[in-house]
Amino acid sequence: MGTPRNLAARLLTAVLRYAPPESREWASAMLRELDFIEGDWPAFFWALGSAAAIARHAASNWKSWNSNKKQTEEEKMNSTGKKAAGVASGAGLALLLAFAGMGMVQFIGFMIPGLENLHWPHFLGAIIVPEIVFVVSAILLWRKRPPVAVGILLMGAAIGVHVAVHFAMR
Amino acid sequence: MNLRLSPQTLIVLDAFLDQAEEWKYGYDLSRVTGLKSGTLYPILMRLAERRLLETAWEAGEPGRPPRHMYRFTPEGLRFTRANAPSRSTGNLGKVALELGPR
Repeated sequence: MGTPRNLAARLLTAVLRYAPPESREWASAMLRELDFIEGDWPAFFWALGSAAAIARHAASNWKSWNSNKKQTEEEKMNSTGKKAAGVASGAGLALLLAFAGMGMVQFIGFMIPGLENLHWPHFLGAIIVPEIVFVVSAILLWRKRPPVAVGILLMGAAIGVHVAVHFAMR
Repeated sequence: MNLRLSPQTLIVLDAFLDQAEEWKYGYDLSRVTGLKSGTLYPILMRLAERRLLETAWEAGEPGRPPRHMYRFTPEGLRFTRANAPSRSTGNLGKVALELGPR
């Protein structure tokens, strides 16, 4: 076996050893063909071309793996961002409703003198009605927009606890 | 199917059309097409990844290492007959020359 052929065999053996798994079959195929090539220099150039082909194959596989990984990460980040936005919008809606309920109680108290001294309209307008609305809307939204439903429930719970503590302190 | 039909790919497909049922070896394909291994194998890899070619290891004689071989899948044969101007239509060489090297 001449020196160029020897070099070719060594090169392709090294390529086979270090090739990524998806390129190994091809590297092995190129190495096997070496036995059928007539002439030492053609075998050497065969090995050079084969090594370049394996390097390109490995590089293109790595590139596509990397871009797939990036895409998955972006999708994951987008999904997390969407969920967070959903929870925030649910919480915002619940807060708006709670303010509207309290404003309505204040307005009715202003319009009907004497009502502001009673406790039940405050309970009704500030806790019971908004909390019922929160629970019903969360149930309705649970299948279609779970993050929004979670946001509403979280804010509803926070408002409920806040108002309950407020009334308890008084 | 998204496959770039370069002049070299057309030449390889044409080589496979010759006795399409038979298995072919890498070095024989290189000699028939005149393509170097660095050009031929990326084309074979692409065709195999797109399932236009099937590959197998030849069970050689005892003591001799097996050899990798290639032939058209039914889909590959259909695709080539439908998309690549072949020697059956007699204009492959003309198309390859018109496209020129890229």
